[in-house]
Amino acid sequence: MDDLTFRAAEAVDFSTRIHFNTALEVMEIDLSNVNFADRAIVRQFYDEVDRQMATAGGRWYFLVNYENCVVAPEAWDDYALGGKIANVKYSNGTARFGASEETRQTIRERAEAERFRSNLYATRDEALTVLASLRRRHHFLGRGSRLDPGRAADVLLKIDNVSLRFGGVHALQQVSFEIERGEIVAIIGPNGAGKTSMLNVINGFYHPQEGSITFKGEKRNQMRPYFAASQGIGRTFQNVALFKGMSTLDNIMTGRALKMHKGLLWQFVHWGPAQAEELEHRKAVEQIIDFLEIEHIRKVPVGRLPYGLQKRVELGRALAMEPELLLLDEPMAGMNLEEKEDMSRYILDVNRQFGTTIALIEHDMGVVMDLSNFVVVLDHGVKISEGPPSEIQSDPVVIRAYLGMGH
Amino acid sequence: MFYREVGQFKSSYAADQAIFPIAQDRWFVIGVLLIAFLVVPFFVTDYTLNAVYLPFLIFGLASLGLNILTGYCGQLSFGTGAFMGVGAYSAFKLTTAMPELNLIIVFLAAGLITAVVGMLFGLPSLRIKGFYLAVATLAAQFFLVWLFYKWDWLRNYSATGQITVPPRRFFGVLMTGQAAAPAAKYVLTLAMVTVLALGAKNLVRGRYGRSWMAIRDMDVAAELIGIRPLIAKLSAFGVSSFYVGVAGAMMFVVWLGAAEGGDTFGIQNSFLVLFMIIIGGLGTILGSFLGAAFLVLMPIALKTVMVDALGLSAVFAKHLEYVLMGLLIIFFLILEPHGLARLWQIAKEKLRLWPFPY
Amino acid sequence: MLFFVETVTSGLLAGVMYSLVALGFVLIFKASGVFNFAQGVMALFAGLTLAGFLSGTVPFTHQINSALAMPPWLAIAATVLVMIALAILIERAVLRYLVNQEPIILFMMTLGLAYVLEGAGDLLWGSDVKVLDLGLPSGANDWLLDNFGLYVDQLEIVAAVVAAALVTALAIFFQKTRIGRALRAVADDHQAALSVGISLNTIWAIVWSAAGIVALVAGIMWGAKSGIQFSLSLIALKALPVLILGGFDSVPGAIVGGLIIGVGEKLAEVYFGPLVGGAVENWFAYMLALVFLLVRPEGLFGEKIIRRV
Repeated sequence: MDDLTFRAAEAVDFSTRIHFNTALEVMEIDLSNVNFADRAIVRQFYDEVDRQMATAGGRWYFLVNYENCVVAPEAWDDYALGGKIANVKYSNGTARFGASEETRQTIRERAEAERFRSNLYATRDEALTVLASLRRRHHFLGRGSRLDPGRAADVLLKIDNVSLRFGGVHALQQVSFEIERGEIVAIIGPNGAGKTSMLNVINGFYHPQEGSITFKGEKRNQMRPYFAASQGIGRTFQNVALFKGMSTLDNIMTGRALKMHKGLLWQFVHWGPAQAEELEHRKAVEQIIDFLEIEHIRKVPVGRLPYGLQKRVELGRALAMEPELLLLDEPMAGMNLEEKEDMSRYILDVNRQFGTTIALIEHDMGVVMDLSNFVVVLDHGVKISEGPPSEIQSDPVVIRAYLGMGH
Repeated sequence: MFYREVGQFKSSYAADQAIFPIAQDRWFVIGVLLIAFLVVPFFVTDYTLNAVYLPFLIFGLASLGLNILTGYCGQLSFGTGAFMGVGAYSAFKLTTAMPELNLIIVFLAAGLITAVVGMLFGLPSLRIKGFYLAVATLAAQFFLVWLFYKWDWLRNYSATGQITVPPRRFFGVLMTGQAAAPAAKYVLTLAMVTVLALGAKNLVRGRYGRSWMAIRDMDVAAELIGIRPLIAKLSAFGVSSFYVGVAGAMMFVVWLGAAEGGDTFGIQNSFLVLFMIIIGGLGTILGSFLGAAFLVLMPIALKTVMVDALGLSAVFAKHLEYVLMGLLIIFFLILEPHGLARLWQIAKEKLRLWPFPY
Repeated sequence: MLFFVETVTSGLLAGVMYSLVALGFVLIFKASGVFNFAQGVMALFAGLTLAGFLSGTVPFTHQINSALAMPPWLAIAATVLVMIALAILIERAVLRYLVNQEPIILFMMTLGLAYVLEGAGDLLWGSDVKVLDLGLPSGANDWLLDNFGLYVDQLEIVAAVVAAALVTALAIFFQKTRIGRALRAVADDHQAALSVGISLNTIWAIVWSAAGIVALVAGIMWGAKSGIQFSLSLIALKALPVLILGGFDSVPGAIVGGLIIGVGEKLAEVYFGPLVGGAVENWFAYMLALVFLLVRPEGLFGEKIIRRV
């Protein structure tokens, strides 16, 4: 069968088809009458997009005109992949209009499979209206603080375009988000979405191949874990990682390691400066013990404690570091309702009393909704959405990601 | 009935953090020390002092050193024998080069030299773990013993290949050689061991001890809460080797008086000390001494029973001793893998409730 | 040049012996996670037993009664039986009670075992040096000597061939048989293996038997070369650098590692030893393995480990 239908009629000059509307922050792409007949022309198109974006810089809203646009079946995969990458890299959101029924159908299917929003509209005006509302919301979130819109955002941690690979496995792909000082941010996503990898990147345990992390205004590509700790990043673990051979008290005292400085000789003698230092920190630790209500298990080896208490001790150990940013990896996994409530209360109290910024991974959506003021959604290492909990809850992309995984 | 902590309240964190928070324990330890210092030197025979008490104290000190590394920091080492050798040869060089140097200073300096050597051989621990590291420490064991033989300067070019301690006095009292009174040697050793053991206890209950145990229990978590593996591991190697070095120096200077490379500091010694801490209890100061006592006394006891009481031939007894020693070790591992110190702990807990457990 | 080739050849042949001992370690470590320090003593014990059967020594008395002397094939078969019985005994009396203990405890157990076997070997057969005469060829291989001027001991060639055969047999056993697959399952995860109905006790008995037989072969080869004596138990120490080089759980690692150590050691002895006063063979292999490990911590055939929290 002859494939004349999808052969390129003429070479398309894409450079004339991309326009930037600075006032609206919209990049308009005119694909009307374009025939994406083979992979070469698809590549040509995205190369042009890359080129234009390199000059323009920043992130834009995409407005795509699909009137009379045809994509050949064999070029669809490349086309969709390119679109996904362009969206992740440059886009604040995309609206499409003018597509034929057939194209709309394909885009919908792709959107379903790849978990992006299809955002298909009949007319350009309609699409522009939607983008405008998106932009307003984004401004509201982006310019002012998420916690207090009247105040400028005080960004504590900025993850910029981070990619992490293990051999051929992509654990994280070009993930970017920000955490403001004083926030409780939840990182959610199905199993294997890269949530724990994200935390590991933040506190220097994994070193991403691309991208950077800016903590307290200092930009880093990689650092050693103890350095992250000394900068004020505390951490608890998915599977309790307490020091099993030590008592609760000693575990929490170990969290003060960075704050104690008396040398080996003083330690050997003990009486005098080393003891004074020890007692000073003991006091601080006792406050944490009081706060977490674990006085009765002070001297018990943690190996003997039930799981819920171990989680609490682990939180105590992280608190002893007096961190500015506290990373909690599934702090409530395997807990019953009552324990979850307790833990939630501790997390909120830590946030309010000490002003500690918290990033937590959690599966229980109820907990996420109640605790966090901002949610980042990861799936297959890609950030598929972010926003306040109320929005995330109703975001079709997020719902699909979860339902798709059988949750 | 008499061993109770009821009614003993602590009103300060300092009291709560004391080494022996329970009064009875405190009095017991003070009592034992008083007897050890004031009674034993006068009432125990010279032979027993030499054959039992000195090796017990010296091996106890070496076990303490290894226990810091293996029991507290979780780094297995087979190099203890050679590190004792480093201490011994250092002491030999120091005391022959500077005859006036006080013996205590000689011991401490020998310990420091061993600490440096130990840290050097501890460097691989930053990259490798577990049995791989243990086998790597065998490199230290064999290399050092080879050095003891090949480096003539180390033994002042003595033709016999041995090192022999020259007569040395400690504040006027002869401490070395056959002529010295075992009681004097014993008191000096006991004093040294007491101070060092107390220091070790202080170390392990302080921030260094916690960082060692953190590395032992979960190295990844330790690193993520701000413990630098480099410092924690190398300090454990350093402190451990210091203790082992002092033990080696005292073994040579005070106890044996002469030593020769692999014969005295061979791998069999590394294993012996390792047995002591396993049988005594990993990660306890008390266990180091219990284990040393057990393994110093057992061969003597076995020999007494087999040769003296049962009249077996010495060769046969020697072989049988091997079998029995091996069996006892296996038996102990099955019975209580956490060692004698755990048994002692359990006994104390029982005693606390005795005779009314409910 | 010829000298170099001769050195390398003798290094390779010695390396085969190291591989043989290392193989015994690997077998046990793979299936039970036990670092069996008694492997060397097992070789000594097997060698003593074999020598005892061959000469007709009466156990415990150390008297030779030539009426009891067995022909080589029978003596070897009997020793194999002894080693199997020993493996079963170890499993029944010791291993069973130490399931789920930490690796260091199991390791210490094997140290205890080494003491027991060493004492028992001496008690049973006496501690004098025994000549092991199984009629294996020895002396220079004439063909190599005549045609290439290479001096290669025939015994070493035999040892290499036997080792190669044993390794092949073990590889087939591990890959193709049902028990081999069970062994690999146990190595991967004790609990998972238990839950699919593999009997740990049986597996351990089999593995220790296999290790015992490997020890016997090592005992025969080393014993034929320099007699059966206490120093035989020290060959275990020779095999340890091979293990860190090749990995505790890799059969190919044990073989390649053994060859590398064998050659490296011989070259060091010949070219580096004289510079520092000789006798470097005791520690050179360890240093070699250590340096290698610092460059490549995962060993020869290990995969790069991804740490997780």
